[in-house]
Amino acid sequence: MNSNYDELLEEFTEEQIRQLDDAIALYKGRPGALIPVLEKAQELLGFLPAPVQKHVGDGLNIPLSQVYGVVTFYSLFTMQPRGKHTIRVCLGTACYVRGGKKISDSIKQMFNIEEGETTGDRRFTFETVRCLGACGLGPVMVVDDDVHGRVKPDKIKSILDQYR
Amino acid sequence: MKVFRSHILVCGGTACRASGGADVKQALAAELAKQNLADEIRIVETGCNGFCAMGPVMVVYPEGIMYVEVKKEDIPELVEEHFLKGRPLERLFYKEATTETPIPEIKEIPFFAHQELRVLRNKGLIDPELIDEYIARDGYAGAAKALTEMTPEQIVQEVLDSGLRGRGGAGFPTGLKWRFAAQSKGDIKYVLCNADEGDPGAFMDRSVLEADPHAVLEGMVIAAKAIGSNKGFIYCRAEYPLAIRRLTIAIEQAKDYGLLGDNILDTGFNFDIEIYRGAGAFVCGEETALMTSIEGKRGMPRPRPPFPAVAGLWQKPSILNNVETFANVGQVIDKGSAWFSSVGTEKSKGTKVFALTGDVNNVGLVEVPMGTPLGTIVFDIGGGIPKGKKFKAAQLGGPSGGMIPVQHLNAPVDFETVAELGAIMGSGGLIIMNEDMCPVDMARFFMDFCQDESCGKCVPCREGTKRMLEILTDICEGRGREGDIELLEEMAVIIKDTALCGLGQTAPNPVLSTIRYFRDEYEAHIRDKHCPAGVCTALFKSPCQNACPVGMDVPSYLALVRAGRFDDAYKILLRTNPFPAICGRVCDHQCQFKCRRATADEALAIKFVKRFITDNGLRPPVQAVPVTRKEKIAVVGAGPSGLTAAGDLAARGYKVTVYEELPEPGGMMRYGIPPYRLPRDVMAREIDDIQARGVDIVCNTRIGRDISFNELDESFDYIYLAPGAHRSQSLGIEGENSEGVYGGVEFLRDFNLDEDAWISRQKSLGSRVAVIGGGNSAIDAARVAVRLGADVTILYRRTRDDMPAAEEEIIAAEHEGVKIEYFVAPLSIKAENGKVAGITCRRMKPGDFDRSGRRRPVPVEGSDFTLDVDTVISAIGQQPDPEFVPGDIGISINKWSCFDLAQGRKAETTNEKFYAGGDAVTGPWTVIGAIQAGHQAAAEMDEAIRAKNGEPPWQPPEEEKIDIPFEIDEETEEQPQAAMPELESAKRIVNFAEVELGYSIETAIKEASRCLRCDAEV
Amino acid sequence: MAKIKIEDLKKIKERVQAENALRHGDRRVRVTVHMGTCGIAAGAREVMTTLMKEIEEAQVSDVVVTTSGCMGLCSREPEITVEIVGEEPIVYEYVNENKMRQIFRRHILEGEIQTPFVLARGKEQS
Repeated sequence: MNSNYDELLEEFTEEQIRQLDDAIALYKGRPGALIPVLEKAQELLGFLPAPVQKHVGDGLNIPLSQVYGVVTFYSLFTMQPRGKHTIRVCLGTACYVRGGKKISDSIKQMFNIEEGETTGDRRFTFETVRCLGACGLGPVMVVDDDVHGRVKPDKIKSILDQYR
Repeated sequence: MKVFRSHILVCGGTACRASGGADVKQALAAELAKQNLADEIRIVETGCNGFCAMGPVMVVYPEGIMYVEVKKEDIPELVEEHFLKGRPLERLFYKEATTETPIPEIKEIPFFAHQELRVLRNKGLIDPELIDEYIARDGYAGAAKALTEMTPEQIVQEVLDSGLRGRGGAGFPTGLKWRFAAQSKGDIKYVLCNADEGDPGAFMDRSVLEADPHAVLEGMVIAAKAIGSNKGFIYCRAEYPLAIRRLTIAIEQAKDYGLLGDNILDTGFNFDIEIYRGAGAFVCGEETALMTSIEGKRGMPRPRPPFPAVAGLWQKPSILNNVETFANVGQVIDKGSAWFSSVGTEKSKGTKVFALTGDVNNVGLVEVPMGTPLGTIVFDIGGGIPKGKKFKAAQLGGPSGGMIPVQHLNAPVDFETVAELGAIMGSGGLIIMNEDMCPVDMARFFMDFCQDESCGKCVPCREGTKRMLEILTDICEGRGREGDIELLEEMAVIIKDTALCGLGQTAPNPVLSTIRYFRDEYEAHIRDKHCPAGVCTALFKSPCQNACPVGMDVPSYLALVRAGRFDDAYKILLRTNPFPAICGRVCDHQCQFKCRRATADEALAIKFVKRFITDNGLRPPVQAVPVTRKEKIAVVGAGPSGLTAAGDLAARGYKVTVYEELPEPGGMMRYGIPPYRLPRDVMAREIDDIQARGVDIVCNTRIGRDISFNELDESFDYIYLAPGAHRSQSLGIEGENSEGVYGGVEFLRDFNLDEDAWISRQKSLGSRVAVIGGGNSAIDAARVAVRLGADVTILYRRTRDDMPAAEEEIIAAEHEGVKIEYFVAPLSIKAENGKVAGITCRRMKPGDFDRSGRRRPVPVEGSDFTLDVDTVISAIGQQPDPEFVPGDIGISINKWSCFDLAQGRKAETTNEKFYAGGDAVTGPWTVIGAIQAGHQAAAEMDEAIRAKNGEPPWQPPEEEKIDIPFEIDEETEEQPQAAMPELESAKRIVNFAEVELGYSIETAIKEASRCLRCDAEV
Repeated sequence: MAKIKIEDLKKIKERVQAENALRHGDRRVRVTVHMGTCGIAAGAREVMTTLMKEIEEAQVSDVVVTTSGCMGLCSREPEITVEIVGEEPIVYEYVNENKMRQIFRRHILEGEIQTPFVLARGKEQS
């Protein structure tokens, strides 16, 4: 429906783009539409590279600068492609005092990646988060939607082996 | 109506689901179907029950039996036992943390018994996805009343009268907020619910939304009516999918029933609610930032005024309250303001919900009346601190809050008190921290959080938090400088005063709070590059070494034992400790309390391995060091501190003479600790080595009696005072001067001086002995008395956990038949013909908390009783006896009879010629503590002498190079600490032979191999 | 679902409260059906079903039903114990569906002990 369609097709399928356009159409004209549309876009596409932001901006009649501003402000949005699975280590206070930092360090070492990065094989994206509210189980590591509680550094490998 | 004979309420909160709750529920349904019970027994999935650490949990009614930590494998047995055979399954009951007593009924479990459920009244009791269950518990009755019977003004007045204050953190009166918005002109107004719970460690709002979503909707309907709004938003974190799902269902059901939408309950009032998913920005918890975010922009705060009540969301009048505030409103209207304000304190009414987390046994969600003492929450509800660790502080209010340390456990938790103590109530995150928490690291953690979440709009927050973080990081990593603390304080004040919004204004709070209560730990980081809690890893090699007062190189000697190089290991021991064989037997091993192996299974038995080295390694021969210095030094007291200092000074070339009052050197090691713990020959060998360096020890010589203080002063250039603390404190009760009453240390000294007379029964304690006290001297005295054939009872006025004595000593005493009575205090000693005949005591019970965090014992009236005894040994504490020091010499002595040290010095007294250390400075303490003081004194004296002479500092002789092998196991297998072989208790109590027999070579190597080598840098 | 009015709130409340009464501990009668292997073999399950049906039809909310294991008198199964608060427990023997209905209507609802079926008075610890 607009200029950067080809650019989007390099990374995404027609079906994905069609669904994105549906979401834009649904929210267009409503006040405060940008964030819900970006959430939807991220859910559909996995990440929000510049062409997607431009597409959303054009669709909602919002300047790219503002879209970019919002994307970079909220931690939920990412401009980088994601791994097949997401590892999130909780560094909320309760987990931190129970050894969350050690879990995070072990994972960094294991895959030679930093926080926010994705492994070379795009299997895992590693993130740390602020408190998942499962403080009773600290330290907590979440892989996709599975919460693994009371994790010890030497158990990490066997947990991650379950995710291929 | 479908009747079930039993309801099983399975917790469906996030924490229980995470620990496998969904599988358990599925297995339960399948098993009930299999057993043909599905028609008789109903499974109800509730929201968060609150007992999160015990998940998955379920409660079975009508019995009210709670099952905890249920696994899906448990289900067939549970169904068979409980639902078929009617026998509750004890294996899955909650067990009381310290006594392990199983408690079947939910209402008896202390975690629940001390709570006052108002906001959480429906938690774990209703299915949050069924609106009817909410209505059955008087749900929407408040909304109905507000819509049909009350004017907006009356609603506002009722809320105002209730004293309800915002539960989101600041505590602003809710009614006032509503009044401002009600008075604002405008046809469009908004009611906003803040469910963007972002504080780390806080999950109250999530739990309320998951367990009772309609309560929040009802509160918002009432608020809407009060201010004249037709549209509401709930701003909920996207990280809370279950809460969003339950809210979505609740909104749909409420709309179906006409409790939301147009013409609510046929009253003509319209109000609709939309959920807005927050995209992850902590600052959006701030009200203006939240509104900006709903508008679709970067969630940055706006300057106020205009206040949201005038120009909020889309510049329309708006109110924003948090989840818990709204959840209170329905009941305030339904039951009235007087009901609401019937609990709480003068200015803080109602209850408060806390997410209790961190180092506490019962992690979970709790609701208590405002003003409940902190200690009640931590110990009665929370069940205390796990693994026998000590409570250090509670953190309230997350990154905007502060710490409440141990000395304030009695503080009533309400808005005012918490603020006075330098924390804030916040939204209710209550994180319990034990002795392993480093306040500097914690401040850095929170500052990192704030710096990361700062939106960047205003300079004080954006730049200020960054600078403060840099300083804190420097301190944690050993680059702290004098003046940093003051700089932090100054910056904190400026940021608080000038930042635009709450995030920045409160960001310095954790720093100020930790400086306020733990300044000494900041100073230790900055001046000594030492992290007392053992957290800041940049400052040490391994936590064990960091915890040791003399910094023994634990990982190295363990590695050498693993490699079978016991002789080299012995050399490592002697580098920092002249008495390793003694410490291998009697040390209080602070190292083991910090051992990281404990997170996997159990701490390493460092003390036992140390002893093994001294039993099996070749003791390196000691050479006399030639005297090269002209200064003559005297040491008063041949205990561990005096001897260490003497040895160190001799090694530096000084001529040292040690004066000892008693016949043999060793101090408390010789005359306090009994030989079954520390054989005399073991001790004597280590003292011989001190003498071998050239130190003269003159025994049977008391200063002020055998030689005058003046003579000492005139004969020596410098003097180290280390006389110890050898005088028992008096009980201060009637009959104390009767024959047969001993002080604990006096008794032990007499026994150790005159052992033969005691053993041959020339001297006797009689057949029944009462020992008063709970420290190591009390246990020593009791165990000696048992060996002398007496029937011994220890009387202690607090609990076992409060006993200062080492746990292993208490256990050994019990094995040997010593009886211990807790919560008993002596009242008077009964004497017949001037001789002890009995002791009258009173039972005690736990009262409020003292400054050490232990409960103060308070008497139980009418509980007095008398024990018939022949001897009373009073071991309630010791004091130094500094009377030999003349008052006019300029050495300051404090009210505990201890020597004061000069300002900023660690061994020098207020007279520069005299140094002091050991128990005579600290009061009764440990052998290793005394050794440390000895090292310190020697170093400080030598430094002072050389500085005075203009000489360069002493260069220690080069140490032999010992290469430390590095060998670790790839996989850590769970394997507890190796037990120490002991003499059977029957064989022990008839003599004074050493009880602990020492590790075998195999055991020692195996134990040493458990070391995780935290010192290694990979 | 239809829109509700104020008075409907009360109706819903009463209905659901009755259903969920057993979560709140207000109970007048506790009936224990002894369901050991022997009891089940002798027909305790049918007795239980009958009892549940009776409770449902009578719309009472103060009767609590629990199960327990064998009382040790297997030859007299099925057995049930009826405990009315404040009165001594009554154990009935050889209970079947008809007897259960009679016990429910006469004893549990009316308070009239059905003497011919009684095995024992007072509670035996099971």
